[in-house]
Amino acid sequence: MARATVEQPPAATGTTLVVAVGLGVAFLLFMAFLNVVKSGNLLNESNLLYASLIFYSGAGTLYLGFGITGTPAYIRYASLATWAGLIANTGAVAHRWYEAGHPPFASIYEMLLMFVWTLAALTLIAEQKFKVKIIGTVTMPVAIVGVVLMQLLRTDVHPLVPALQSTWLHVHVTLAMLAYAACALSFALAMMFLIKDKMKTETFLAATSLFGVATYLGVLTRFEKWGGFSVIAWNPEEKSEVFLSRGVRLFVVIPDLGWLLLLVLAAVAAPLVLYLVWRKTQNEAFLNMANRAVFLSILLQVLALVFFLLRARDGRYASLDADGLFPTALAASPFILSGLVGGVFVSLLYLLLLWRRSDLERMLPAADELDRITYKTIAIAFPLLTLMIAAGAYWANRTWGSYWSWDPKETWAAITWLVYAGYLHMRITRGWRGRRAAYFAILGFAVVMFTFFGVTYLLPGMHAYA
Amino acid sequence: MAASVPRKIWQTLGAIKTGVILLILVVILSAAGTIILQRPATEPDEMQRAYSPQVLRVLDALRLTDVFHAWWFVLLLSLVSLSIIAASVQRFPNAWRFFSRPYKSPDESFRNALPLHKLIPVKDEEAALSVADRVLKKAGFHPERIVRENSFSLFGERNRISELAVYIVHASLLLILLGGNIDALFGWRGFLTLTRGEQSSQVKPQNGSVRNLPFAIRCDGAGQENYSDGSPKRWWSDLDVLKNGQVVLRKQIVVNEPLVYGGVRFYQASYGKTGKLDRLTLTATPRDGQSPKDLAIGLDETLPLDADTTVRLAEFIPDYVVSDGHLYARSNELENPAAHLVLESKKSGQSINVWLPPIPGLEQNESSPYTFEGKDVQMAYFTGLEVSHEPGQWAVWAGVLVMGFGLVVVFYLVHMRVWIAPVRDARGQLQLWIGGTANKNKDAFEHRFGELVEKIESELKISVEAGAEAPAAVLAGK
Repeated sequence: MARATVEQPPAATGTTLVVAVGLGVAFLLFMAFLNVVKSGNLLNESNLLYASLIFYSGAGTLYLGFGITGTPAYIRYASLATWAGLIANTGAVAHRWYEAGHPPFASIYEMLLMFVWTLAALTLIAEQKFKVKIIGTVTMPVAIVGVVLMQLLRTDVHPLVPALQSTWLHVHVTLAMLAYAACALSFALAMMFLIKDKMKTETFLAATSLFGVATYLGVLTRFEKWGGFSVIAWNPEEKSEVFLSRGVRLFVVIPDLGWLLLLVLAAVAAPLVLYLVWRKTQNEAFLNMANRAVFLSILLQVLALVFFLLRARDGRYASLDADGLFPTALAASPFILSGLVGGVFVSLLYLLLLWRRSDLERMLPAADELDRITYKTIAIAFPLLTLMIAAGAYWANRTWGSYWSWDPKETWAAITWLVYAGYLHMRITRGWRGRRAAYFAILGFAVVMFTFFGVTYLLPGMHAYA
Repeated sequence: MAASVPRKIWQTLGAIKTGVILLILVVILSAAGTIILQRPATEPDEMQRAYSPQVLRVLDALRLTDVFHAWWFVLLLSLVSLSIIAASVQRFPNAWRFFSRPYKSPDESFRNALPLHKLIPVKDEEAALSVADRVLKKAGFHPERIVRENSFSLFGERNRISELAVYIVHASLLLILLGGNIDALFGWRGFLTLTRGEQSSQVKPQNGSVRNLPFAIRCDGAGQENYSDGSPKRWWSDLDVLKNGQVVLRKQIVVNEPLVYGGVRFYQASYGKTGKLDRLTLTATPRDGQSPKDLAIGLDETLPLDADTTVRLAEFIPDYVVSDGHLYARSNELENPAAHLVLESKKSGQSINVWLPPIPGLEQNESSPYTFEGKDVQMAYFTGLEVSHEPGQWAVWAGVLVMGFGLVVVFYLVHMRVWIAPVRDARGQLQLWIGGTANKNKDAFEHRFGELVEKIESELKISVEAGAEAPAAVLAGK
């Protein structure tokens, strides 16, 4: 499909897609408007969020169109749509803040709301200030997934438990979001550097596969006996997890899903294995096989995702720890869901690279320019990380009487800080530039992701709020 | 000459390679500490469930079940500190020389070696230098006239502190580690539970011992406020600090808002029922037809009912059951309360057991001169206070502030230097040599340098024209 479109003259494709997306956005907004007029309440949070979803989707389509065809006209309209989405998103944030009476950082839903906002804002900054136009191709789909995820989560305004009623918490979380966003940006820039720096497409293949393997290994820690897969039970009335006792969540087992995910793990690992065989034998046939295996793994990943969505949405499942059947929901497993969606997304990005590499390269700034911007974003991220840790420590000291208790989240935040400190030392005293610096930036972001997702999901600790 | 062993060790400690290896070790070991279950936080039986006895024995022997307090982790952090100190001490003198004695007068070899420089032909040394002086001043470079035996020149710079920023950051890190060390050695944490009216000066640390404070803490009240949906909104305790029986400080603490006295901090940590009675409100009605009266009574408290009779609350069971003619407490919840009152007559010396509600086999309610009716039961609540003493935390916060400052300087302040000297080229033509350098962000500086040069050039032209001299002379030099 993607190959067919290039053969048409770019100008014509440009208008067609822009008009199509414009009509789509207008149509969806009109339908939504008709619905809203009936209920009478136009500017509330869910409407604004819906509007931003529509605009972000339009922007995402256009950015993707730009990624595939390289038509410059798309970018203009894509930025316009992003601006519109950002305005609606800002409205939703403001509405939420006003309703709740505190900055929206208290629940996963609110964090996601802020995360999507930051992502859209950063996309526009990167595009207009640093002229990295391709970045929307990556960030917008993430924003769309974020907004969709939000629809599944508990949205009512949560009163803050006493420990969270602190300005320092807001400072801490704001700094964390900003720091993580800057780290994400440095990661994206480092990736672009590697593309521009003529790193072999096969290496990206191995990296994609490695990412998939890591994700599915993490997900499969929930693998149960007899091929089941355990997820947290969900109470649809309360819109909250089911607790066995204080702090202990009840897990239910979805049968057969574990086998499917195991199969997907094998499919995701296959390109890596074939790549290694290719490295050993230098036989191009294996590389072709590996690329076909990526295709297969995408199909299987989508299948597993759909299966997971369907099984988690309806039905009641048995638990190993309690008698009876319990329902579950997607909202109970946001991390698994983002893992699965992330896996598909990264594989699709690889396909984009595989098919349209030369166009991508043409659209990127020069390699050493990218290298410099990567360093600059880390120079922003590092002080933010430092202050984030300090604000968290100060808050902990006011709440529990201890500024540092080596809890896993704290420890991993410190590890993140050390990794970026290592990057800075290598760059400044050893003059590490280019590839080595880019690898280091990627490593740093991997650690950030582990601190954000992995620690919450895989390790025990008291950072139960985020 | 071979270096002595201590000197070699010192050099090794200060090497960047050593620092990086140590940091990698810290990363690996602290990651291990988050993956392996840790001792004080995890209950022993949970540890036994998670690991087999052999594995647990090995982990315990290697101190991997309490990584962050293990001697080798402390040793590692000390080595990191030493490495930072060594690296700073070895490199600092050079940086300090650079900082305290800036190179101001550019000689010929320096002028030739400096990559970023420009030559502008000029007519008159003095006029040109004063124009340059003005431009540099406007750009915030604080120019100064350097006069040597056989040369004179201009030197201007900005943000010289940037040269020392790395040492500021490293010093702040040492300060934080120092504070953490002080707390690890001299700090302590414990717990204190108080009910209303109770006072105590004994704090119980986790290891089962008791720590005596030089003052006492009294609780005047504690409570919980809820949101409309029933989830807790606020816990509070009114605390008094007593020294030699005198109240020296009074404060209401809530979560996030501790009481501090004598370097010891008291945090609101928990709040709950003790299962004990605080106060029972009763109505006592005399059988002789006199008016009834209300009384509030605590456990083991004796109150007079009339001139002859007193009442004492002997027992209170919040949730009772009767089995085989015996009374048992089922739980600490206020579910099914029973109160045991003892009426005593001074004259007869007789005592009568009254039970509310009447419990067959125990009660003598019929022989009592009063009938009792329960009105209200107030249960006692306890407030749990986390107590901590962290004498090193000030070093930590100071370190954090200094680090914030240091990082801003490291990343965002650029040390820029500009030298300007009048020189003569091979043909004897007088020129203004302008050179500049920056310690980071070099391309941005190049741009800025270009602007400075342009500014000087244009101002020179203006002043030349104003002096009514032929501009042709200036142009000819180009």
